[in-house]
Amino acid sequence: MALGRLSQALLKSSLTQSRRQLSATADQGHADATKLWKRLTYLVAFPAVAVCMLNMYLKMQHHAAHYVQPEFIPYSHLRIRTKRFPWGDGSKSLFHNSKLNALPGGYEGVEGDE
Amino acid sequence: MAHQAHAYHMVDPSPWPLTGAIAALLMTSGLAVWFHQHSMILMAIGTVLMLLTMYQWWRDIVREGTFQGHHTPPVQKGLRYGMILFITSEVFFFLGFFWAFYHASLAPTPELGGCWPPTGIFTLDPLEVPLLNTAVLLASGVTVTWAHHSMMGGDRKQAIQSLTMTIVLGFYFTVLQAMEYVDAPFTIGDGVYGATFFVATGFHGLHVMIGSIFLAVCLLRQIKHHFTSGHHFGFEAAAWYWHFVDVVWLFLYVSIYWWGS
Repeated sequence: MALGRLSQALLKSSLTQSRRQLSATADQGHADATKLWKRLTYLVAFPAVAVCMLNMYLKMQHHAAHYVQPEFIPYSHLRIRTKRFPWGDGSKSLFHNSKLNALPGGYEGVEGDE
Repeated sequence: MAHQAHAYHMVDPSPWPLTGAIAALLMTSGLAVWFHQHSMILMAIGTVLMLLTMYQWWRDIVREGTFQGHHTPPVQKGLRYGMILFITSEVFFFLGFFWAFYHASLAPTPELGGCWPPTGIFTLDPLEVPLLNTAVLLASGVTVTWAHHSMMGGDRKQAIQSLTMTIVLGFYFTVLQAMEYVDAPFTIGDGVYGATFFVATGFHGLHVMIGSIFLAVCLLRQIKHHFTSGHHFGFEAAAWYWHFVDVVWLFLYVSIYWWGS
């Protein structure tokens, strides 16, 4: 039954809503709602994004200063290559990053023949 | 002169369902050919055909609804049902990937070290870019609601402004996520962790891009005066899809980024 109510709410087109509401007070209702969401955008949403951006920027600076490449251990459950990737030499993933992603034999540039 | 004595839309014959089906066939078989025979041509033809089909089919729907008046209230109700059912099917699509993630992570096998995250996997800090991504998508949900109310109130300028902001935020999310993909210390080939992470977030990212394009088309149509304050279902469908994308991200964030780290 709740599902019926939900679909009813979604199905009520804004056409039938605004037909009932074509009075000055109801237009004011839409204008009020518009103002509310505009205020939420500028006073809540955008500041939250800005705070997260600042937080991210500070953390990344900290990482850049203190980064240590993890030691390479040839675990058998990682760097799986049952089938080659259909590009290049088939050993690098689509978003391969040579500084961070080791190949099955180790980080690039460290082994002799890669 | 003959005219219909009912409110429903008897659609004219159209080639696009057929071209769309052919495109689906060529894309899927093309993908298999690419994997096994290293030729991309079939997949490329399929993709081009799909894009042509999408453009022309939706162009025809806009013509039928906005310019020819076929989208009466009963027809619009059917379109609403259709969009709701489609989004529901997408929910089930993602449910499968969440199932895979929880299957692997709730009972990690000995091969992984018997723990989650698996031994040797260095997870992303959920309080860095993923948190920013969460804020960005939530903010875009606020701006798209602002856009809807503006549209219902007939405020054209605010509707265009807020819809543009929504699209910019969606684009920002995509850029941030792409940077995360490149800077991740693990890849899709890193066992079941990498597989579940990149397949789930990857399909989500694809849906963000699709949703952004849908919203951008709505922006274009709003600028061209297609929508009225009482009839703008295309925009509502885009907004529903966008909220769905946001909700999927929230589940991804809590499950994979936060709990799974």
